[in-house]
Amino acid sequence: MNWRKHFVEAATLIVAAAACAMVANAFASKERKLVVVPQSAPRPVVAAPQPTPEPITQPTTTTPTTATLSTTATTTTVNRPPATTPKKPAPTPPQPEKIFNPHPDKAYIEIHGDDVEALHKKGVLFLDARRTSVYEQGHITGARPFSVWESDIDEKVNKLFTERSDPRDQNLPIVIYCSGGDCEDSHMLAQKLWGIQFNNVYVYKDGFPDWQKRGLPIHTGSAP
Amino acid sequence: MMQWLAHPWLTVRVQIALGVIFVVAALPKIVDPPSFAHMIYNYKLIPWALVKPMALVMPWIELLCGLALILGIWKGTARTIIAALLLTFIIAISINLLRGNAIDCGCFDVSAANKTTEERFADMRLVILRDIGMLLMAAQLWYASTRAVT
Repeated sequence: MNWRKHFVEAATLIVAAAACAMVANAFASKERKLVVVPQSAPRPVVAAPQPTPEPITQPTTTTPTTATLSTTATTTTVNRPPATTPKKPAPTPPQPEKIFNPHPDKAYIEIHGDDVEALHKKGVLFLDARRTSVYEQGHITGARPFSVWESDIDEKVNKLFTERSDPRDQNLPIVIYCSGGDCEDSHMLAQKLWGIQFNNVYVYKDGFPDWQKRGLPIHTGSAP
Repeated sequence: MMQWLAHPWLTVRVQIALGVIFVVAALPKIVDPPSFAHMIYNYKLIPWALVKPMALVMPWIELLCGLALILGIWKGTARTIIAALLLTFIIAISINLLRGNAIDCGCFDVSAANKTTEERFADMRLVILRDIGMLLMAAQLWYASTRAVT
């Protein structure tokens, strides 16, 4: 067997494959293109009051934290009724509203359906980390497409950073979701956002399938 | 006894069949590299820096090797690369099966299928068997080429 000839042919095939891949990628649409060298995330103009985590441009394993959300301490003054007053069923106390505080020490906090629904009702920003083609088939109403696998992700993140360049805006809650289960796209996007000082990011653990199961509002098409 | 294994009639058909399989497998990955990159990432075997370059180049290697087998150009080299790829796939899927990491193989279809964990494990076992079958096809081509030389 002529090893030298074999080696030259193999090298030629691999180089030709790499060349074809580069040309095809150059002409691909932005949803089908891969950015091999990611753009650097923008640096904030004004430093946020919290300690600054290092920007992360690649997915790393962070221990997910199950939601431990604080609740507002409600102090209610109850007037004891006179002894002669007939007993009435005690009114159910109003459910204390959950507070979604910034958490600069964690990239994200995982939350479940009820909290997600509450945040959606408040008009919090939702980001859909699934592929745009899947997003168009149905997404949480108001959610924006932010697929971590598509070439325009850095562009979208930069735009979001520009929209929320004030440190106070960076502490506003953001909910990210993908397909639930073992889907990691939302966690990867959360890492990316945390890297540019978005300190209040939540990952919808059960994702879009859970939202559908709950019969909550869904929108189809490319518009949020 | 083993003469039939190296018979040109069989060899040509195996060569074309293996080539067609690799061309068919390469096309969906070439059309949608981000989905294939996602699949490679799910294997959790490759450093992040290599995921995207691999997702771009590997389908083209499959396509060119498949075409080489169909057209009968550089058959030996194409067969060797395809055998190496198949071995890599078998090892990668076996490792994930042993780890208990249920993944879509991304072999012929890169769209995210909403399968259950059990369905994925069953598919992974079938994929290993299928890849072993294709590896045997490559082995037949190698055997036929050694008989032709002697």
